[in-house]
Amino acid sequence: MIFNTWDYYLLFLLPAAILFRIARPSIQPLIIVLSGCYFFVYFSYTQLGGAIGAACLLIFLWESFISRFYKPASWFCWLGVVQTILFLVVFKYRNFLSGLIWPMPSQNPLYWRNSFLPLGISFFTFEFLHYAWDRYRNKTETGTVGEYMAFILFFPTMVAGPIKRYQDFLPKLRSIPADWALDFQRGFTRILAGLAKKFAVADLLTAYTNHLNMRDIGHAYRAVLPLWLLAYGIKIYVDFSAYSDIAIGSARLFGIKVPENFDWPYFQTNITNFWRHWHISLSAWLMDYVYIPLGGSRVPVPRIYVNLLVTMFISGLWHGAGLNFIVWGLLHGLMLAAHRWWRHRLGAVPSQALYARAFSWGLTFVAVNLAWAFFCMDIHTALFFFRRLLGG
Amino acid sequence: MGRLTWCQNMLEYLAGEKDAPPTGFMVGLSNFLFWGIWWGILVGIVFVFSGQSSKFIYIDF
Repeated sequence: MIFNTWDYYLLFLLPAAILFRIARPSIQPLIIVLSGCYFFVYFSYTQLGGAIGAACLLIFLWESFISRFYKPASWFCWLGVVQTILFLVVFKYRNFLSGLIWPMPSQNPLYWRNSFLPLGISFFTFEFLHYAWDRYRNKTETGTVGEYMAFILFFPTMVAGPIKRYQDFLPKLRSIPADWALDFQRGFTRILAGLAKKFAVADLLTAYTNHLNMRDIGHAYRAVLPLWLLAYGIKIYVDFSAYSDIAIGSARLFGIKVPENFDWPYFQTNITNFWRHWHISLSAWLMDYVYIPLGGSRVPVPRIYVNLLVTMFISGLWHGAGLNFIVWGLLHGLMLAAHRWWRHRLGAVPSQALYARAFSWGLTFVAVNLAWAFFCMDIHTALFFFRRLLGG
Repeated sequence: MGRLTWCQNMLEYLAGEKDAPPTGFMVGLSNFLFWGIWWGILVGIVFVFSGQSSKFIYIDF
């Protein structure tokens, strides 16, 4: 919940933003750090893992300490990368990966019965990894420990992004604009627009998306099935873009502009452009820290397809610890590879004719929305959905 | 500027994403009456639909 609770606005956002704007620049990072710690402990304790969840604040403190040793080409950077991936594997993938070997939890010696996810772990690990890797390549400065802690504990983006970059965040932290009235006007407008989208559209569609389960799919009139899936496609866009609106608007109250996450993705006319406009901060991260290190597009053509598949496999696995998310990621990898093949092997130049653009848009929209089936349902339910959809 | 692009820019301005309105949209940021009404509409929408709130999809998935 968090962003749609009064607690967030009255206990955290408004006090912290006002204090931040009236404070001297030298103590502004401290305000972000203290409010971020308070935010993490409060919502972890009340909404997630209780006292143990709140104790996961130690992950941030440890990262702040170890990050001071990150130097260009230093093995400490590798240590940072490995430990961050370990955090993610232990908390998010332990039961899933061990379950591949021991399917029955009762026979699984590694099964964690009361497992929980530390608040925002899927997102803050990306920021930890980015910093370690960019320090290794000397692509970002160290900053002070206070500035780095402000970067990782900046609560508007802590839980679900947008995923920030230190070299982008640091100059903004160091030169907060004096025109707070503009920031507050735009920030509050953005937050209200996000809340309106979430409550009036995303939550309303839940009435339809709740039917995407084995029992309802089995009993439903066939023609209604694509409408339920379409409702999910609209819901996930509106829901996450609303979340991003609130996060970006909240950051704006501090005078900090964080990266945009969405730019009309459902208007795009091919799958490559879709990913350039959908969850932009994640796509850019995967591009810079997975796809390009694998060789990107500067390798033989078959390797490019493999790189696309590997990148989207990781994207799928990151989205959730389940085989359905892996299938969803691989489907997008295949679509990206097919689009690349179409554009480069056949030398196809996109036509600007209206009918061609409309067809391309329709194909992209339908493909993306069909693929959501593997995002919102487990494998068996999704396959059953398609069997019913196609076979009656 | 195409009509569709203009509409996108206007919506982004109304939603707080852009700081400047598209050409031809005469409402500046200092128009307190307009923004007061607009904020009132958005708050009204939030309150009308607030009974069915659900978790954000992308949190802790």
